[in-house]
Amino acid sequence: MADPVTGAGSTEGGRKATSAFSFMHRTDLVLTLLIFIVCGALYYITTDFEEVSLLLSQNIGPEWFPRLLIWFIVVLSVALPFEHLMRKQQAASIDKDRSDRIKPISFMTAALLACIVASIPLFGTLIAMLLGCVLLPLLWGERRLKILIPFIILFPTAVAILFTQVLKVFFEPGLWGPTIG
Amino acid sequence: MPIDAMIQGFLLIADPYNVFLIFCGVLIGVMVGALPGLSSPMAVALLLPFTVGLEPVQAISMLAALYCAGTFGGSITAILINAPGAPPAVATAFDGYPMAKRGEAGRALGMAAVSSVTGGIFSLIVFLIATPLLAKLALQFRPPEYFALAVFALSMLAAISGKSSIRNLIAGAIGVLIGTAGIHLTTGVERFTFGIPELSDGIHFVPVLIGLFAMGELLSQSQALNVTLERISSIVIKLPSREDFHKVKWTVLRSCGLGTFIGILPAEGSTIAAIMGYNEAKRFSKEPEKFGTGTIEGIAGPEAANNAAAGGAMVPTLALGIPGSGTTAVILAAFIMHGLRPGPHMMNETPHFIYAIFFAMLLANFAFFAIGLGGAKLFSRITLIPRTLLWPSVFVFSMIGAYSFSSSVFDVWVMLTAGFIGFLMNRHGFGPAPLVMGLILGKLVEESLSQSMIMFDNNWLHFFESPIVVMFFVLTFLGLFWSVITRAVGRCVSRARPDVTLERGD
Repeated sequence: MADPVTGAGSTEGGRKATSAFSFMHRTDLVLTLLIFIVCGALYYITTDFEEVSLLLSQNIGPEWFPRLLIWFIVVLSVALPFEHLMRKQQAASIDKDRSDRIKPISFMTAALLACIVASIPLFGTLIAMLLGCVLLPLLWGERRLKILIPFIILFPTAVAILFTQVLKVFFEPGLWGPTIG
Repeated sequence: MPIDAMIQGFLLIADPYNVFLIFCGVLIGVMVGALPGLSSPMAVALLLPFTVGLEPVQAISMLAALYCAGTFGGSITAILINAPGAPPAVATAFDGYPMAKRGEAGRALGMAAVSSVTGGIFSLIVFLIATPLLAKLALQFRPPEYFALAVFALSMLAAISGKSSIRNLIAGAIGVLIGTAGIHLTTGVERFTFGIPELSDGIHFVPVLIGLFAMGELLSQSQALNVTLERISSIVIKLPSREDFHKVKWTVLRSCGLGTFIGILPAEGSTIAAIMGYNEAKRFSKEPEKFGTGTIEGIAGPEAANNAAAGGAMVPTLALGIPGSGTTAVILAAFIMHGLRPGPHMMNETPHFIYAIFFAMLLANFAFFAIGLGGAKLFSRITLIPRTLLWPSVFVFSMIGAYSFSSSVFDVWVMLTAGFIGFLMNRHGFGPAPLVMGLILGKLVEESLSQSMIMFDNNWLHFFESPIVVMFFVLTFLGLFWSVITRAVGRCVSRARPDVTLERGD
């Protein structure tokens, strides 16, 4: 029976798989490939940095340090798919943390948070804050109006007063939002 | 010891407004510490934007007070509901909760408070002595030494904290890489700005810190909405008896030393210190079999160690500008935000500032002792706040905090992106603390490396001419490969043993 996460121990027609891939942790292999892609893209960007004279850069160009880091990350990432062979306990702990799929509520929460932030230029910071106080508890299943309504009224008001009156932060009014502060 | 600077530092803190701010920091710290899921680094990161309008000494004192109190606050919920409010209180729950179940919650809380204060004060005495000495030593440091020190700090964090040193190192390097975005100081070339004008100044670390610590956790919490916590209803607060003190005095003293030492090492101090404090308490105990069933030593050990580590972690932060833990990394960010760079020069030029922080932390220790004991009942009720309201509040604070830093919606997007990335990274074993450490140390690493390479005319070998650099490199190597070395040695020894028996048999 193959390990669902590592893929180790899988059999093919009753034969134990002995390819190089069977020693690799599948999730970490994907992770490594992802890191390679990102690092490759970043490395490519460094080739596009403006060129400066050697005299100005004193032999240490602007691309030198980022490239060094990118190589460092790439080299370390190579070890990721094999890490579970070296540190079994730690690898098991990491696998346990990621064994469950990310729940739909997390995706919905992330999408809602992005929508709220995207609404700031339209409705302003105050309305965005109110939206956060109303929509997030509702999304997370809070239906007790007795505690929800005071929260929606009191919390954003207190935060708005604190930031605009005490800390003198100017709240972005947005296209259609109110101007305060 | 410069008495004038000490008096000046004391007078700075004695200002009633500053005392009020320190009490606020303590109150927030204990509350945040008591709330499972909310941690000290997160609270310090969330509080950063609030401190923009404050004087640097007020801001740092408040954050340092929060740090001390947050470490203790975690023990309240660890003891009362078996849910450590903060990672450093994990070990406290092992014996605290069984004691609470036996109806000895008050005794356990009292011991946690007394041990925490003892640990805190002990480490502050060490702080008072060690910071000027370390700063004096660091005055001899040139760019190569600073580079080696920063690398050592990053490697220590990678080696000790979290689940995987490789992942921690990668996270640290990613943090340093993020820090390279913006205009390159030497040449004026824009790097990784992607044509976005807001990125020309680089990525501000405050929104990143808030995102990584607060938003990442918010998304994790969204997956655990149905988890309910068990609660001890009756709490009678009483201080530990003389017998209890007699029983734990050596445990506390040992943990104080151990915790302070671990705190001074540039790594994730408090959690490691608490676990080691617990293990050592068990190892030296006359009744080790009672550990885990509710023994007072099982509380004294980790609590003294984790608070001692909090004070210890401030030593490298202030003397060298190298954070001693995840939370002190955020405190270092606060220094930078206020236009200060801790290090040996600060100790020379503005020593009263360092002493002011010392007095602030000392006051914080006494304050959390009083607040923690007096309000333990109340603080345990904080956990009654529904998660469905608590985390939206955290989101609002994060959003407004990130926005208010430079009144820019772009920073809110940075915060949110950092949160999403932090959530995914955390899921795959990449902790936020190494990334933050990398981000904050990034500039120091790049500048010191570039300056060293210019000094050495691009010849790496010159690094090895400095004994301090060599020492840090050796420590870095040992830190990273210690477990591999010990395992290899162990294997060699176990292979050699049968031969020895055979020889004896022969």
